[in-house]
Amino acid sequence: MVDITLRVNGETRTGSTEARKTLADFLRDDLELTGTHVGCEHGVCGACTVIVDDRPVRSCLMLAVQAAGSEVATIEGLATDGGLNPLQQAMWDSHSFQCGFCTPGFVMQATAFLRKHPDADEQQLREALSGNICRCTGYQSIIDGVLLAAERNRER
Amino acid sequence: MKLPPFDYEAPETAAEAIELLAEHEDEASVLAGGQSLIPLLALRLARPTVLIDINGVPELAGISAVDGWLAIGATTREYVAEDSPAVADTVPLLAAALPFIGHEAIRSRGTIGGSLAHGDPAAELPAVARALDAELVVRSRSGERVIPVADWFDGYLTTARRPDELLVEVRFPAARQGTGTSFLEVARRHGDFAIVGLATSLTLSDGKISDARLAFAGMSDVPVRATEAESVLIGERPSAELFDEAAGRAIADIDPPSDLHGSPEYRKKVAATLARRGLRAAVDRAASAN
Amino acid sequence: MTRIAAERYTGASIRRSEDPRILTGAGRYVDDIKLPGMLHAAFVRSPLPHARVLSVDVSAARKLPGVVAVYTGAEIEEMTVPGPDALSTLLGSTGPTPEFSLLATGKVRMVGDPVAIVVAESRYLAEDGCELVEVEYEDLPPVATADFALDPASPPLFENLGNNIARPHTRNEFGDVAGTFDRADRVFDFHIDVHRHQNVPMEGRGSVASYDADSGRMTVYTATQSVQLSKIIVAMRLGLEQDKVRVLAGDIGGSFGLKIGASREELAAAAAARALGRPVKWIEDRGENLTVSGQAREESFDIRAAVTSDGDLLGLDVKMLIDTGSYPAMGGGVPDIIQAMLPGPYKLTALGFESTGVTTNKAPYVAYRGPWASETFVRERILDVIAKELGLEPLDLRLRNVASRTDPPALMITGRPLVGITTRESLDRVAAMMDYPAFRQRQAEARTHGRYLGIGMATFIEAAPGPREPGGPSGPMGLESMRLRLDEDGIVVLFTGQMPHGQSHQTTLAQIAADEFGVPFEQVRVVVGDTDVVPFGVTGGSRSATMTGGVALHGARELKLKVLDFASHLMEVSAQDLQVTDGNVWVRGDPDSAIPLSEIARRAAAGEFGPDADADLEVLASFDGGEGGWSGGTHCAIVEVDAETGLVTVERYVVVEDCGALINPAVVEGQIRGGVAQGIGAVLLERSAYDEDGNFQSATFMDYLMPTACDVPRIEIEHLETVPLDADVNFRGVGEGGMIVAPPTLVSAIEDALTPFGVRIYEQHLPPARILELIAAADSAQ
Repeated sequence: MVDITLRVNGETRTGSTEARKTLADFLRDDLELTGTHVGCEHGVCGACTVIVDDRPVRSCLMLAVQAAGSEVATIEGLATDGGLNPLQQAMWDSHSFQCGFCTPGFVMQATAFLRKHPDADEQQLREALSGNICRCTGYQSIIDGVLLAAERNRER
Repeated sequence: MKLPPFDYEAPETAAEAIELLAEHEDEASVLAGGQSLIPLLALRLARPTVLIDINGVPELAGISAVDGWLAIGATTREYVAEDSPAVADTVPLLAAALPFIGHEAIRSRGTIGGSLAHGDPAAELPAVARALDAELVVRSRSGERVIPVADWFDGYLTTARRPDELLVEVRFPAARQGTGTSFLEVARRHGDFAIVGLATSLTLSDGKISDARLAFAGMSDVPVRATEAESVLIGERPSAELFDEAAGRAIADIDPPSDLHGSPEYRKKVAATLARRGLRAAVDRAASAN
Repeated sequence: MTRIAAERYTGASIRRSEDPRILTGAGRYVDDIKLPGMLHAAFVRSPLPHARVLSVDVSAARKLPGVVAVYTGAEIEEMTVPGPDALSTLLGSTGPTPEFSLLATGKVRMVGDPVAIVVAESRYLAEDGCELVEVEYEDLPPVATADFALDPASPPLFENLGNNIARPHTRNEFGDVAGTFDRADRVFDFHIDVHRHQNVPMEGRGSVASYDADSGRMTVYTATQSVQLSKIIVAMRLGLEQDKVRVLAGDIGGSFGLKIGASREELAAAAAARALGRPVKWIEDRGENLTVSGQAREESFDIRAAVTSDGDLLGLDVKMLIDTGSYPAMGGGVPDIIQAMLPGPYKLTALGFESTGVTTNKAPYVAYRGPWASETFVRERILDVIAKELGLEPLDLRLRNVASRTDPPALMITGRPLVGITTRESLDRVAAMMDYPAFRQRQAEARTHGRYLGIGMATFIEAAPGPREPGGPSGPMGLESMRLRLDEDGIVVLFTGQMPHGQSHQTTLAQIAADEFGVPFEQVRVVVGDTDVVPFGVTGGSRSATMTGGVALHGARELKLKVLDFASHLMEVSAQDLQVTDGNVWVRGDPDSAIPLSEIARRAAAGEFGPDADADLEVLASFDGGEGGWSGGTHCAIVEVDAETGLVTVERYVVVEDCGALINPAVVEGQIRGGVAQGIGAVLLERSAYDEDGNFQSATFMDYLMPTACDVPRIEIEHLETVPLDADVNFRGVGEGGMIVAPPTLVSAIEDALTPFGVRIYEQHLPPARILELIAAADSAQ
């Protein structure tokens, strides 16, 4: 077992974990942050995407021990005051999702991408999100939600 | 699909890592980016007794220009290389290939050294390294070896790295004046492994091809230099007919694998198409570079 | 302070009530459930497609620290009630009944067949334990193809059946088949194959079972399309009284037909939970989901078409072979629906249909979004080819053969009335949207540059729920019930057996109830997913828009009458003079008289209306579908095929659909786009692949490829004005249509793109290598 300390959604968290436990499972089981979902456990579907030290990362392809000392952002940490942040709001307004299982991965990937590419066009956005799989929506509503968020950001 | 148990070591220096490799040899796996290794562990296809995590060894990361070469530390993240002006300026073929590697989240963690040490013949970086005659620097208790890429890939997921050696650095030669490059890939979807990929580099002097390099991904159990095609091109002026001939030579003696994504015949057809398209693109870039 | 309610929620893209929790990671999926003392299960699974199980040694596994129990297939048999497949029995399937144990005992019949269950403190440890279980197998010849399954020499998967015929050959004729073929100017023969592919929801199957010995009650949290159906099966197989089982479901990460009933694994885990006195969780991983959860669509067809030289499609004679995989699921029932739906919206006068179903060493054939979809694929494919052979435009051939909307309606040769169909309108509208002549010019120009563009279309109708038949029940699934109640806080609560897994019922049903009752949208709550409180229901078959939307409407109306009856006593006016707006009851023309509903409810509960009054502000409503109706539409796609690599890009995709009145346009459009995406996946990317020895080859997402945001274009959708059939309920289902008609649309476009090569396509899966093969084969045939 390895003792680790990391920051998750701005809070210092500690844990004691087997080295083989993935960051995804650590977040879900040890920290009880079940917003991050596990869809394939081999790094293809993107449902487990979180942000580690400002980079989008597939948390099923990282060991929890590798996140020691890092800043991790999960979907639970996005909105403050129990509301929705602008991206989440735009996605709500755009009917972006259906079953919701892929949602946290998309929201975190889009969050990371928009920070670096606030003026991306639709094609760039589709490529940036092509590593996240959704089975319900056919993607258009998700793309619309992210584009709407970007547009509202520009208007601010 | 949970990972099997293993002992975990997190050395803080390259020397420590090397000591661990000397002790455990092929019972150990080195964990760098984890984007290839962790799926193998999750599928329980890899069963190391010890996992040596080298992400905590700062000396293994970094990019520096040395004597007409670009030296990239083995644990340099793919996204760092992708954003690096040094890479874009001196090794344009590498810069062209990097965005094809999976998706952004993969490149957040994946490393230049890790991809080359893993040796997937359908991956992008092995083909780039092979095309450019890159050099791989490994280190063990007994010192360092510099292994030319032509001697590096031994077979499917097998390299010349000995079990007690750590890949510490990859060196790419800086592109010469008048060089144009292209990286093309036919994949089932954006971000997938190549069914067939092609790294091309052409140098023009006085309108003639003075240097030609073509290396395929996905056409064998290792990346393949199309040396027959290259010899047809050297000394000639670029033309569609020349490229057709080179494309034909490129696939003549090759025996591609068969899998769900393509038969050998399909791979050969696509390889020839990529050769024509890749040569055209490289020549256009070489011409505008001149 | 009163809030102004929207004039009408129904018909507007009201934002979903589900989203605030979905978007913030606060959804509750079955893997999010954590109970005190909970254990984790994993299964030892067969690496072989067909083998006898000679021995199972669990001793080493039992000794592993952290492993709490290991049960073999034989032990699980002792802990459960043996029987045939429960779901098939409940659905009344006739025909051969395979006998098998819950976990494999004497033999394994597919790669991944579960042989033992390991229960441990964590899933990691459970998988470690699985590796220590030693199973001795004796290989049996694999039945890896339908052709071999037909061969009496193939080893029967199920000993009691004696062969591999899951569904014996039957033949039915409608109209004068022989005479029609005699009269025909031309008879065409086709062979068409549809490949195996599968549901692949982003969340796999799973459950947490917990048994309380004191009360003798089993509680199961699960991902399912019907909590009541799950409960019935859990009770049956665990030998429990129905009222001793409670099934709960929260948020569900998609299903598309997969999560119906209770799986063998869930039942084994429940039995283990009971034996151990601790909750047991089993969450299917992606490998399990792809390998064993179920697959669909593997069918082949021989079709004869009787046609006049002018292009009248007179009749079809169809022979179908369906590969139903190993364990029984939906496959055996699919041919009946295909037979019924094959005529589609066309004026077919004769149909001969015969079918056989076989068992093979593959995953079971489960329901997958529009299980009968092959009828549209096959029919629309042959219409395209017949048109080309006769020198007609595919669009014109369809317009010529589509039944008109008459009164009384035309009947499908298989019996159902084509009442209210708008096929002709959808075809015309698509033609207008696409501007075929302009496209043909662009196509010709592109060809001169070695670029291959194509346009294709297909049309369909879907029984969502289907029309009321004269004197008969309405749709395919009978009655829909709903309990509606006005709570003391003024909330109108709907208890429904629907189990949404992406369909947005908590929003759409609230829209309808809010409008009908007269309360703000926020004042309606939809309760799902608890067998203790919801009536029977199944989400599936594209039925909920009509059936559940309808029962919400009628139920809200009934409840409102009841409430107004009380209010009329309270306010001392006749109920006819009262109205409900914005959550308040008031006398027409006198806004100051408004009393909030909560007050009415409180006073009713306090017994204020006297001993004779029925103070229960609750109704149990049921709805038979009313006049029902068809959904349907036409899809059209423009694609580009790279003839050197075989890669296909979908440039434009257009949908003109009719699903009656829309409850929530954004929800409808989301369903359509999701279905089309699955169609793109089926044609270009997805195949459940077995080799000729029955080994499974697509057990990860590296080999089973799902469409991404770079594969699915913007999909333009137009809604047709509905032909209202019912006085009140004209919402129709739309969940399955996209997936039914997208595959033939795309194949039609690809074939059109490859016209210069003379390619004809009689299959559905067209990866790049296959496209180059088709081009080469057509080339050499010329």
